[in-house]
Amino acid sequence: MGSLSSEDDQARFASVVLPHLADAYALARWLTGDRADAEDVVQEACLRALRGIGGFAGVNARAWLLTIVRHAAYTWLGKNRSASLLVVDDLEAVERQQASGASAFRQEPQTPEAALIASADARRLEAAIAELPVPFRETLVLRDVQGLDYREIAEVTKVPIGTVMSRLARARRRLMQRLAEDEEKAGS
Amino acid sequence: MTTSTTDPRLLVHAYVDGELDPANALELERQLANDPALAAERERIEALRRTIAERLPREAAPAGLARRIEAAVGARPAPARIAAHPSWRALAASVMVAAFLGSGATWLALSPAPADADMVVANHVRALMAPHPVDVESSDGHTVKPWFSGRIPEAPRVVDLSNDGFALVGGRIDVIGRTPIPTLVYRVRQHLISVSALRAGRAAAMPNEQIAGYNLVSWTDNGVTYWAVSNVAAADLNAFVKAFRAAAPDGNT
Repeated sequence: MGSLSSEDDQARFASVVLPHLADAYALARWLTGDRADAEDVVQEACLRALRGIGGFAGVNARAWLLTIVRHAAYTWLGKNRSASLLVVDDLEAVERQQASGASAFRQEPQTPEAALIASADARRLEAAIAELPVPFRETLVLRDVQGLDYREIAEVTKVPIGTVMSRLARARRRLMQRLAEDEEKAGS
Repeated sequence: MTTSTTDPRLLVHAYVDGELDPANALELERQLANDPALAAERERIEALRRTIAERLPREAAPAGLARRIEAAVGARPAPARIAAHPSWRALAASVMVAAFLGSGATWLALSPAPADADMVVANHVRALMAPHPVDVESSDGHTVKPWFSGRIPEAPRVVDLSNDGFALVGGRIDVIGRTPIPTLVYRVRQHLISVSALRAGRAAAMPNEQIAGYNLVSWTDNGVTYWAVSNVAAADLNAFVKAFRAAAPDGNT
C-alpha cells in the first residue's frame, strides 16, 4: 500500500506499543469519559506512535505511549469538549487564592474519616474522579489507577516533578471532600 | 518550588507514594508523630489509595481494540517473548535520562540509602553501560549455574521464568565491598532486571524503594538476601519478584 511504515517499524510497533494497549485505553477512557471515544483516541495515538516509532529511544515504552495518547486525547477534547480544557495555570491560581487567607487544611469544612473514604463504592468513586479538572484527573489516574511513579508522570504530562506532587495532592483532597459530601447527602 | 515543597501537607503525599528520600522521610515521620492532623491526613490518603486500587482495578483493553489497531497500522501481534536484542545504546541513554530527570527535585529518593542498596544499583548501572550486561550469556540455567560454581563458593539459585515473561539473559559477578556477589540478569520487554544474592545478615531486607530512578526490591529466602533492581515500573518488578520466589530452582522440577 506504499505504506509510510516499513516492516521493521511494524514489528517494533508490535513489540513496543501493543503490550501497553490496556494502559493506553484506560488513560483515554478517563480523559474522554467514554468507551467508544477512548477507542478512537487510542487508534489515532497508535497511528502517531507508528509514525514516530523510529524516534523512540527504547527507554520506557509505556510512558512514551501514554504521552502520545494524552496528546491525542487533548486534541480530541479540544474538538469535542473544549470547555473541559480550562487553562491549568488559571485553575491553580484560583486554587491558591481560595487556599490563602485561612490556613487551608485545618479549617476545611469537609474532612472525612479514613473509614468513610474506604466505604466509597466503585460508582461514586468513578463519578468523583470524572468530575476532577483534567490536569488533576490525569495525574491522579496515572498514579493511583495506573501505578506510574512521579518521574514517569512528569514525563507523560510534561511538568516538573514538584507540580506532579502538588496536582496529586489537590486531586486527592478534592476526591476526599467529594466523597464526604456524597455521604452527607446520602445520610440526610 | 523549594518553598512549596517544604509544606508537610504536600510532602505527606510523596511520603505515602514512597517518593521521599530517606532524610526527608525521617523528617516527615517526626512531624507525623507530633501532628495528629497530619497523621490523620496520611491515613486518609492511604485509605483513598487502597479504595481506588480495590474498587477500580485496571481493566483490560476491549477485546476488539487490538485487532482494530493491528488492522489500522498493518502490524502483527507482539511475539510472546521478545526475540530482538535490546539496543545497549538505548539502555545507556535510559541511564542518562534517569539521571537527568532525577536531578530536579531534592526531596526525591535519590541519595542516602543503605550502602548495599547503593552498590546494587551502581552495579546494575555499570552493567547497562558495559558492552555486555552479563559475563556469561545464556538463557539456560544449566549453563549459567555451573559457570558460577567454578568462580565463587556458592552458586546462586537460578530459575526459569520464561513462562512468566521474564527471559534469563545470563549471569555476572558483582563486587560489593570486597565480596564477590553472584548476579542474574533477566529481561522483560526492553528492560533488564538484575538480581543479586547476598548472604543474609549482610543487609536487612527492606520494602520497595527507588534510587536514582531505579526500582529496588529486597527480600530474604532460605538465608539468602536478594536484591532485584531495574528501571521497570515497581509493579512489574514486584511481579518478577513474586515469580522468582515462587519458581522451582532449575533442574529441580
